[in-house]
Amino acid sequence: MSAVYLNTISENASRLGMRLHESFSEHTRDLSITRGSSLYLEPDDKGKNIRKQLDSSSDREKLDAMKRLIALISKGRNVSEYFAQVVKNVASQNLEIRKLVYIYLLRYAEQEPDLALLSINTFQKDLTDSNPLIRAMALRVLSGIKVPMIGSIVILAIKKCAADMSPYVRKAAALAIPKCNELDSSHVTALIEIISTLLRDRSPLSIGSVAVAFEAVIPTRLDMLHQQYRRLCRMLVDVDEWGQISLLNLLLRYARTMLTRPNEDEIDVDIKLLLTSAEPLFQSRNAAVVLAVTRVFYYASPPSYHPRVVQPLLRLLHTSREIERVVLGYLFALARVRPALFAPHYLQFLVRTDDLGRVKQDKIKLLLIVATQETYQSILREFIDYADDPDDEVVRAAIRAVGKCAQENPDSTPQCLTALITMLNNPRGNSAVLVLKHLVQSHLTNSTSGLPLDIISNLARRVEDIRHSQARACVIWLVGQYSESGQPGAGISGIVDWAPDVLRKCAKGFATELPIVKLQIVTLAAKLLVLCPTDERLSLVGGYVFSLAKYDLNYDVRDRTRMIVSLLAGLGLPESVVARDSAFETRGGVVLRREQARVILFQGKVAVVDDATDDTVPNAHLGSLTLITHKPMRSDEHLPDWLERGVESSLRDTVDDKPPPAPLPVFNSPATRQTKHGVTREVPSSSTPTSASKPQWTDLDKFYENDESEETESEESGEEEEEETEGASSEESSEEATEHDP
Amino acid sequence: MAIDGLIILDNSGRAIIQSGFRSKPLAYPLLHIDAFNTAVAKSRRAGDIEPVIYVPAYNVAESPSACCHVECADIRILCPVSDDGDPLFAFSFIRTFVDILYEYFGTPSAATLKDNFDVVYQLLEETLDSSGQPLTTSPNALRDIVLPPSLLSKLLSVAGANLTSAINAGSSIGGPFSSPIPWRKAGLRYTSNEIYFDMVEDLKAIVNKHGTTLSSSVWGRMETNCKLSGTPDCLLSFTNPHVITDCAFHPCVRLQRWKRDSSLSFVPPDGHFTLAEYRFTPSASATTARFTNPNAPTVSSRENIPLPFLVKANVEFAESSVSFEFKLTSRMPSHTLDNVVVEMFLGDGATGVKGSTSRGDGGNAGLRGSDGSNSVTGSWTFDSRKTAVRWEISQALPSSVWLLRGSYSCLNGVPRPAHALQIRFDIASYTFSALKVDQLKVTGENYKPYKGVRGRSSGSIEWRW
Repeated sequence: MSAVYLNTISENASRLGMRLHESFSEHTRDLSITRGSSLYLEPDDKGKNIRKQLDSSSDREKLDAMKRLIALISKGRNVSEYFAQVVKNVASQNLEIRKLVYIYLLRYAEQEPDLALLSINTFQKDLTDSNPLIRAMALRVLSGIKVPMIGSIVILAIKKCAADMSPYVRKAAALAIPKCNELDSSHVTALIEIISTLLRDRSPLSIGSVAVAFEAVIPTRLDMLHQQYRRLCRMLVDVDEWGQISLLNLLLRYARTMLTRPNEDEIDVDIKLLLTSAEPLFQSRNAAVVLAVTRVFYYASPPSYHPRVVQPLLRLLHTSREIERVVLGYLFALARVRPALFAPHYLQFLVRTDDLGRVKQDKIKLLLIVATQETYQSILREFIDYADDPDDEVVRAAIRAVGKCAQENPDSTPQCLTALITMLNNPRGNSAVLVLKHLVQSHLTNSTSGLPLDIISNLARRVEDIRHSQARACVIWLVGQYSESGQPGAGISGIVDWAPDVLRKCAKGFATELPIVKLQIVTLAAKLLVLCPTDERLSLVGGYVFSLAKYDLNYDVRDRTRMIVSLLAGLGLPESVVARDSAFETRGGVVLRREQARVILFQGKVAVVDDATDDTVPNAHLGSLTLITHKPMRSDEHLPDWLERGVESSLRDTVDDKPPPAPLPVFNSPATRQTKHGVTREVPSSSTPTSASKPQWTDLDKFYENDESEETESEESGEEEEEETEGASSEESSEEATEHDP
Repeated sequence: MAIDGLIILDNSGRAIIQSGFRSKPLAYPLLHIDAFNTAVAKSRRAGDIEPVIYVPAYNVAESPSACCHVECADIRILCPVSDDGDPLFAFSFIRTFVDILYEYFGTPSAATLKDNFDVVYQLLEETLDSSGQPLTTSPNALRDIVLPPSLLSKLLSVAGANLTSAINAGSSIGGPFSSPIPWRKAGLRYTSNEIYFDMVEDLKAIVNKHGTTLSSSVWGRMETNCKLSGTPDCLLSFTNPHVITDCAFHPCVRLQRWKRDSSLSFVPPDGHFTLAEYRFTPSASATTARFTNPNAPTVSSRENIPLPFLVKANVEFAESSVSFEFKLTSRMPSHTLDNVVVEMFLGDGATGVKGSTSRGDGGNAGLRGSDGSNSVTGSWTFDSRKTAVRWEISQALPSSVWLLRGSYSCLNGVPRPAHALQIRFDIASYTFSALKVDQLKVTGENYKPYKGVRGRSSGSIEWRW
C-alpha cells in the first residue's frame, strides 16, 4: 500500500521535475528561482531585448521586461525611451504586468505627455472596471499625467470616482483633487463641488484624504465645514490613523477660526465635542496621531485641560530613539511655557549614557526647566554625574546646567560651587571655569556676601592646575579684577593676599603660555601695579613681565604691553619697570594720573551676559519641523489666532476678514451656480444680489439655523431639516450681507 | 502634512530602492542620501546620528528640507520631508512600512529586498501616494493587492501558471477591498481556530552609583497571532487590569469599551499584529488615584520595580589606563536570566583591552562541562566599531555570581569611558506585571477558538558606577 503511495508521489515529482526542466532550458533567466529578482539588479543589464520582450505575446516575457525596466529605474537609469512599448501593455489582462506598467507610467508620464495621451482611453475604460483596485489605479495614473490639456477629462474621472461604491476609490478621488488643481487651477470650481460632495461621505476610510484635499485646494473655505463639523468630530474615532491626523488638524483650524476662545468657566459646546471626540485617540499606537491630539488639546482648550497631554507624550518617549528625539523637542517647547506640568515626571528625563548626543542635551535642558524646590537636589546630582560623559558637548551642557542651578536656586549655590571646583580637577572640566566666572560676576552684581571672593581665591590657588588656555586666561582676569582689598592684610597693602602670588606663578612660565593667556598676565600685572605702585617686589615682577612681553613673538602681546606701559607712566614707578624709550619723551602727550589709569583698567567691564544661547525658534508651534531642526522651514500651515468675541458676531467678522478665494467670481457665474445648486442644493439661485462672497454668507447662517435643530435631532434627519431652514436662511443671509457690505 | 517619499539604503549608504519624488527635482533624493552619509561619517560614536537631519536648499528656488531616518537590520530607511510638518508623521510611516516589510519578508535585509525589489516597489506604490499621503497600510488589505513572495509562487510562475488570477477576479469574495473592515481580510477559513497572545514586557531602569534605582518602568506589548475564521468579535478580559496604564491600542480595539470596563473588545486582523501596548504600574493604588484625577502627579520613585540582579563595579584610573572589575549577582528567585549582555563604552582611542571572566560562586556543578566553557564563565569581546567591551552570559541561574576583570589603555591621553554599564537580558516565561488574561469570548461565529497566552520579558538597565 505504502509502496504504491510512494510510487505516485515519485511519479508526480518526476513529472513536475520534467516540467520544470523544460522551462529552465527554455528560459535561462528563470534560474532566478534560487537567486530571486536581484538578478535584475546586476550591472550588466544594458537593456537589450527589452523592446522585443515587451512586444512579445507571452505574459512572462512582458513581466520579465517590466521587471528589468523597474530595476533600471531603481538604478537611476532613464528608461523613458521604452515608453511607447510600455504604454501598449497598459490593457494587459495580467494584473501583475499591469501594476508594473502603472508604476512605470506614473514615473514617466510627465516626460512623455504625447505618448501618455495615447493611453488615456484605456484608463477611462479602466475607470469602469469591476475591480476597485483597477479603478483606483487608473485614476491615480490619470491624475499623475501632468498634461494640462486633459484637465477636463481628469475632472470627469474624479467626479465619477467620487461617487464610486468603494470607499477606496473615493479616497483615490480625493487624493487626485490637489494634483488636478496644481495642474490647472481654472477647474477649481468643479473641484470645490467634488470636495463638498466628498465631505458628506459617511465612510471613515476616505474622509482623511478629503481633509487633505480640502487643505490643499481651499484651505480658507472653512465655512464649508459648518454643516459637517459635528459629524466629523463624531466620526474621528473610526477614521484610519493617517486620516485622523489630517482631520484633527483641519478641525483644530476650524475651531480656532470659527468658535469662541474657551476659558476656564465657559467652553463652547462644539469645542467640548472636539475635545471629547479626540481624547480617546491619545491611545493610538501611531505617534503622529497622539501629537495631533496633543495639538488639539494644547491649542483649543483652557489650561486646565493641558495636564491631559502629559502622560500620552511621556509614553511616546519609550517607543523608539527617533521618536524620543522628536518628542523631547516638543516637550521642551511645552515645558518652557508650563514647567509645572512636567515637574513631577522629571525622572523620565534622566540621561542614559547610550542616548543619542542630541537627546542627552535636550534632556539636560528639560531637567533644568522642570526642576523645582523639591527636586533640585537630585537633579543637581544628576548634572554632576553627566559631567563624566565621554561626549564633550554633553559635559559642557552639564556644567552649564550646574551653573544655572546655582543661579536659579540660591540655596543650592554652595553645593554647585563645590561641584564646579571639583570639576576643575577633571581634565575636561575646563568650561567649569567659564561657568564659575559667570556665577561670580552675577553674584557680585546682586549680592554682598563674601562668597564670590572665596571662589576666586580658591581658583587663584589652583591656577597652575588649570591647563585649558581660555580657562586660565579667565581665572587670571578674575584675579586681577577682584584683587582689590579694603582692609589692610598681611601682604601688600590694598591688594588681597593671594593675588601677587598668581602673578609670580604666571611670570615664571610666561614664555610657554598662549597669547590669550599672556595678554591677561600683562593686564594682571598692570592692575596690581595700579593698586599698589609702591611695593618693590611687585614692581620687580611687573617689570619682568613687561620686558618679556615687549619682545614677544605675537604682535598683539607687544602692542598691548606698549599701551599698558604708557598707561602706567603716571604712577611714578621705577625706571626698571616702565623703561621709557626716547621716542616717548619727544612725542610728548598726556600722562594719566593713577586714579585715571585705575578707572581705565577696572571699570566699564561688560555686564553679565547669559551664555546659554536660547536657540528655540520663536513662533514655531507644536508639531512643526522648525521646532526640531531649529531652522526655518517653508510652511503653508499656520495656526489661526482665536477670535476675541463671542460666537455669533465673531463668526461674521472672520469671514469678512478672510478674502474670498481667487476663483470666486467664476463661481458666481450663472452656469456654475446652477450646477452647484444641483449637486449641493445649498444656495437658491435667486439670492445673489450682493457681493462675490455671497455663498459664504448663506452657509454661515444656515449653520446657525442648524445649530438649534441639530441638537435635538439625530444625524439621519439632517437632510430634511436643511430643506426646512433653507428659505429662512437665504432671506436672513441677504440682510446680513448688505449690512456688512461697505 | 505630507512626506516626500522613501529611500532604502544598504549599509554602505547606497540606495537600493527609492520612491518616485515626482514633484521634486532629480537631485533631491541624492541630496538627502548625501546628507545622511555625511552625518554618518561625522558621527562621533557609532550609531549616534541625529535622527532628523537638516538639509539646506541647494539653490534659492528650493526650500530647505529635513531627512528623517531609521535603521532596520542592515538597511536604513530615509524619509525626506520638505514642508513644516510633524517629523513624527515621517517616523510613524517608516515604522508602518518596516512592519509591512517584516510581514512580507521576515527580517528585511539588503539581500532580501534586492531579491524582491519588484514586490518592494509595488509596496511603496500602494502604501504611499505620489502626493505623500499614506494609502493602504494595513497588512491584511495589502496582502490582497501585492502578493507576498513565496517559493511556491516563483515555482508556479516558472512552470507557467498564473497565480495572479486571484487578484484579477475582482469584486468576488476575497478580492481586494471587498472586506467591510479595513484591517481584516474577508472570507477567511481555518480548520483549527486559534489565537495566541504573547505578553512581551521590557524593563527600563537607571541605577545610580550607589546602587539605588533612580527610575524604572516596565512597558509591555500584547503581540497577537490570530488564525480565526470568518469575522469573529472577540472580548478579552483580564483578572487584574488595574496593573496596567498608559495604554495604546491597535485601531481594531473599541476604545469606549476599554474605558468602561477595562476589557478589550475587537474584531482582530488576520495574522500577526500588536493588540495593545501598556505600562505596568506596581502600586495599583497610585494608579487608581491618577485614573480618577489626571492632575495628580505620578510619584514614580515609589513605584520602583525590584531589579533582577545586582552589580558591583570597581574601576581604577591610572595615568592613561583603566582597570575594571565587575561582579554581577542574579537576584531572581526562580527564573534564569538569559542572554545577559553587559556593555561599556570605553571612549575614543581605547586599545589593548584585556579581560578575564569567571564565576564568583565557584561554578555550578551541574552546568560545568555540559554547555561548553562560555556558559560556565561567560565570555567577553571588544567591539572595535563601538569601542565598547561586551560581556555575555548566556544563562545566569538564580543567585549565581559572575565576574569580569580587565584593563585597557588609551592611545590619546586620558581614558574617558562612559561611567555606566548597559545591561540587557531576557527572561523566558515571566512577566513583571503578572497581567493575567481572564477569558476570551468570541461572538459572531459558531466555533470556540483555542486561546494561548504566553509571557516573556526583557530588560535594559543602565548601571552607573
